[in-house]
Amino acid sequence: MLIIKNLHAGVEGKQILKGINLTVGAGEVHAIMGPNGSGKSSLASVLAGKENYDVTEGEVIFQGKNLLDMSPEVRAREGVFLAFQYPIEIPGVSNINFLKTALAEIRTYKGLPPLDAKEFLRQSKEKQKLVEFDAKLVNRSLNEGFSGGEKKRNEIFQLAMLEPALSILDETDSGLDIDALRIVSKGVNKLRSSNNAFIIITHYQRLLEYIVPDFVHVLYNGRIVKSGTKELALELEDKGYDWLKEEAHENAATI
Amino acid sequence: MTPQDIPLYEEVVNGFNRLSAADALGRESSDLRKTRQSAFERFRESGFPTIKNEDWKYTNIARWLKEEYALGGLPGGAAAGGADAKVMDENVRAAAERSRVAELDAYIVLLVNGVWQKDAGVGAVAGAIPAGVELLTVAEARQDPALSVYFERPTDGKERYFTALNTALFSDGLFIRVDASALPEKPLHIIHVFTGDRNLLVQPRHVWVVNRQAELKVIESVVTPAYAEASAGETGDGVAAGGNAKIWVNSLTEIIVHTDAKVDHTVIQTPGEGTRLVQHTTVRQKRQSLYNNYNFTFPGSDLVRNDLQIRLEEDHTETHLYGLYLAAGQQLVDNHTLVDHQKPACFSNELYKGVLLEQSTGVFNGKVYVHRDAQKTNAFQQNNNLVISKKATIDSKPELEIFADDVKCSHGSTVGQFSEEALFYLRARGIGEETAKGLLINAFAFDVTEKIKTPAVEAHVNQLINQHIPVSHA
Amino acid sequence: MANDNEIIDNIANKEYEFGFVTDIEMDVAPAGLSEETIRYISAKKNEPEWLLDWRLKGLQAFSRTKLPEWQNFPLPKIDFQKISYYAAPKSKKKYDSLDQVDPELLATFAKLGIPLSEQKTLAGVAVDVVFDSVSVTTTYKEKLKELGIIFCSFGEAVREHPELVRKYVGSVVPHSDNIFASLNTAAFSDGSFVYIPKGVRCPMELSTYFRINTENTGQFERTLIIADEGSYVSYLEGCTAPMRDENQLHAAVVELIAMENAEIKYSTVQNWYPGDKNGKGGIYNFVTKRGICKGANAKISWTQVETGSAITWKYPSVILQGDNSTGEFYSVAVTRNKQVADTGTKMYHIGRNTRSRIISKGISAGEGQNSYRGLVQIGPKADQARNFTQCDSLLIGDRCGAHTFPYIESKNNTATVEHEATTSKIGEDQIFYLNQRGIDSEKAVALIINGYAREVLNQLPMEFAVEAQKLLSITLEGSVG
Repeated sequence: MLIIKNLHAGVEGKQILKGINLTVGAGEVHAIMGPNGSGKSSLASVLAGKENYDVTEGEVIFQGKNLLDMSPEVRAREGVFLAFQYPIEIPGVSNINFLKTALAEIRTYKGLPPLDAKEFLRQSKEKQKLVEFDAKLVNRSLNEGFSGGEKKRNEIFQLAMLEPALSILDETDSGLDIDALRIVSKGVNKLRSSNNAFIIITHYQRLLEYIVPDFVHVLYNGRIVKSGTKELALELEDKGYDWLKEEAHENAATI
Repeated sequence: MTPQDIPLYEEVVNGFNRLSAADALGRESSDLRKTRQSAFERFRESGFPTIKNEDWKYTNIARWLKEEYALGGLPGGAAAGGADAKVMDENVRAAAERSRVAELDAYIVLLVNGVWQKDAGVGAVAGAIPAGVELLTVAEARQDPALSVYFERPTDGKERYFTALNTALFSDGLFIRVDASALPEKPLHIIHVFTGDRNLLVQPRHVWVVNRQAELKVIESVVTPAYAEASAGETGDGVAAGGNAKIWVNSLTEIIVHTDAKVDHTVIQTPGEGTRLVQHTTVRQKRQSLYNNYNFTFPGSDLVRNDLQIRLEEDHTETHLYGLYLAAGQQLVDNHTLVDHQKPACFSNELYKGVLLEQSTGVFNGKVYVHRDAQKTNAFQQNNNLVISKKATIDSKPELEIFADDVKCSHGSTVGQFSEEALFYLRARGIGEETAKGLLINAFAFDVTEKIKTPAVEAHVNQLINQHIPVSHA
Repeated sequence: MANDNEIIDNIANKEYEFGFVTDIEMDVAPAGLSEETIRYISAKKNEPEWLLDWRLKGLQAFSRTKLPEWQNFPLPKIDFQKISYYAAPKSKKKYDSLDQVDPELLATFAKLGIPLSEQKTLAGVAVDVVFDSVSVTTTYKEKLKELGIIFCSFGEAVREHPELVRKYVGSVVPHSDNIFASLNTAAFSDGSFVYIPKGVRCPMELSTYFRINTENTGQFERTLIIADEGSYVSYLEGCTAPMRDENQLHAAVVELIAMENAEIKYSTVQNWYPGDKNGKGGIYNFVTKRGICKGANAKISWTQVETGSAITWKYPSVILQGDNSTGEFYSVAVTRNKQVADTGTKMYHIGRNTRSRIISKGISAGEGQNSYRGLVQIGPKADQARNFTQCDSLLIGDRCGAHTFPYIESKNNTATVEHEATTSKIGEDQIFYLNQRGIDSEKAVALIINGYAREVLNQLPMEFAVEAQKLLSITLEGSVG
């Protein structure tokens, strides 16, 4: 589904990603872990097409197409969904109107007719339940005055509505208490299928107890320095990142 | 009233003409003379401002212009008023002593009607002028070819009214120069005393130049002697003692803050009745410079008009303006500020608070102007007013004029009364209504006073607030 | 996302879609303003003596008054003698039914989306149509008559209800109020008149549609709305003009009178021709709008969406005379190309416990300049008066400007006045968020703008809100490529 080859990217001349290689197949859940400043969120931003990142080298193929050539909205319509670490507030734009517009755009792109109002409402109700998203919030302005947890639930609610092929969860667990984490995870687990894939960016192993990954990668200093299965996450929890840093430096020294 | 009907207008025009005829400007450069001449012509055209002028819409000075004033201290030294001769008396000395800030180790500069009294003996304990600081009288500086340039204001044809008048006829004031990288060990405390034995127009001119990376801390006190208590009535000869004489002060200060320099500037205005104080300050900030201004106006003076103009001529500057005006009696206190963002990435923040007692009028006009080039500007402005008395008036006009898009600007203005809940809460705890109100006014003022960085000055200002607050609030 | 230049070009190149001219036979007065012209207009309309006298007083005031100088942008020269002060479709006096209306005229209004036949009219909206200077038709008149509501052209009101007109005209905006009001008093051609009797709640929206068609004419209509005790009315106006290279002048006067417990809601969608991208042509929109809450508990609410005109000066105001009366002002003003909008409101708090609320949203693009200019005045007797003002400015591109000039004058220590203003540009992170959900940048901007203006748009009656929303999106189409 997604093939990242030797991806280099940075902001204002500062190199952040220094050669990422990653392949994600349909039905898979990949976790990306790593210490602060290792480039996790940058990777998410580059995949979603955030403007201020310059890709200097490498390529990203998504479902056979060159992702890096696409504008952010086309990436979204092709099925890349980013659950933002800090969802933005947009005053005056109602959540539901925004979602209706987004869904209509995506369906038009795919050559599908827009959902009729009744069907939209039915789906919206059903998916709200999935993340226990308060119906009152649906009619409020987009993220405005939402608590941290409400914002994150809103992200997963949108994910459920838009049904993307690839979802990137950027530190969705940050700022969530254990109940909210459980709810969000439950939502994600229900949405998992053999047709879609998830990249879960997180700092902590805790989220991975709820959303069990197929693969775990450790990002350090702009590179994936170690990959493994879910056991790797436990190992990281035990030992921290320092041993990997040392390993990475040793590797770098030998190269 | 046409300009010709104003006695002071006539006095000024005649005064200038006399001066030109007598060729009395001494060794002033020809450029400075040209500046004076063109400023005079602009004043002759504009006369004094009226309420038809947008900048004076709420400040009607007509009632004070009906009085006659003599010109005090002309540039040629041709004293038209008798003030120059007899300046230091016990009342002046007492006023100066009263303005001193307790516990503040500062170098004291006493100016009487704009003239530096080097040997006045006020604050003699303050010792020598701090290293790195040079002080000159403007009377000397304006005749020095190297310094003359500081008195030639740009003749863009826009200068009118009081600033033009000052440029045409100023003679003396204080010239301060701080050497590059100098960090003077103590602040300067400039005490301005204004006095006269008859009605006078006094026009001091000050220039401060703070060079690269230097720092300057200045406290200015503006006062008049307390003749009322001292002599008037007792002798039955109040006029001769200066008791009923009116003083019109039209002062202009220009401050140049060079690259990376820092200026901390506090102004405390407590002149008494009979004073009309028009004070214009232009600050020119260069790259990465910092300028802080704290302005306090207290009851007394009939008219206070402050024009504070900050010109951000280079990028990455920082400016903080804090003001507190406490007006009482029939007083009119008008604060006009302009923050002129000419270059990118400058930050400015302004907070002015007003407390209006008795039949006073407060005027606030704050303008933030962001030029097309001034991208990444951050400019904030807030004006809050507490109207205590039924007969008090407030006119507030915050303005934003913005021509660049990548900016964050906001302003706010409020007019209100005590919070009823707060008052009730205090009274419910057994605090009397008047005391409770006093507490709330102090709390209101605290947002401004707490910004003063020198504790002794903060204490001094708080003491002045306490002096005025227990007055009747009806 | 395109760069700013592209954005600005796109905005600039968006054409005005109502710029066509109707080819119709017109009765046009010779250009120029004089006592003769005024007498000509008055005679054309068979006006009574008192009205002619009043017009002449207006003319006198006009000749005495100078053009204002307070604005922060230079006022172009206006040659008042080059304007024709009267233009009307040639007709046999008066239309008895729609069949008699020139088909060309009917077609014009169909093109503008304003059907004149009652069957086709938007359900529940009665329309008075003013073409150049003259009211062409008023729909639903009979139905309103049953309730005692008078809704007709100004000229008809002068004929049929002279006592009402004489009593109230000029009572809120005197003939000498300002130079444009004086001009209007002297030369006003027609307009709309509304009277809602005591206790009647007008069951439908009343609406006037203005169209300037003829070259070198000015439009000077006059609207007078009286809501008697305990009544309610919601009134809408819309306007367009053809594209012309010459500037045309629109100097209307609107007077609202709300008696005790009455409420008037007045909404405007202003889309006069703004001129081309070089600032050539366009309407000078200098309008005086003022209402008075005469009785206790009265309420007047102004809502405006301003997207057209080369220059707009307009300050719909409320005199809050009755105790507990309320004034509101909701505004969205968009400027692009070289448009200038200087708009705001004046709230005069006279009575006790009066309230006012001001929400102003300015959007500037291209080289457009947008100013909010407003006055909140609290009189000595206005105990417990309250005002809240919020002015926001949104900038698109670095050649436009946004300005805020609020005046607060308080002479009462029990009053509370709050003013807040902010200036910002559309956040790139907001656009990116919407992009990431599949919404392209253009739609994203439209969404954000409509969200930004929502508080104001919500005040509009349903039919108008949809129109206004579309208009905003179209006006700023291509703002981000």
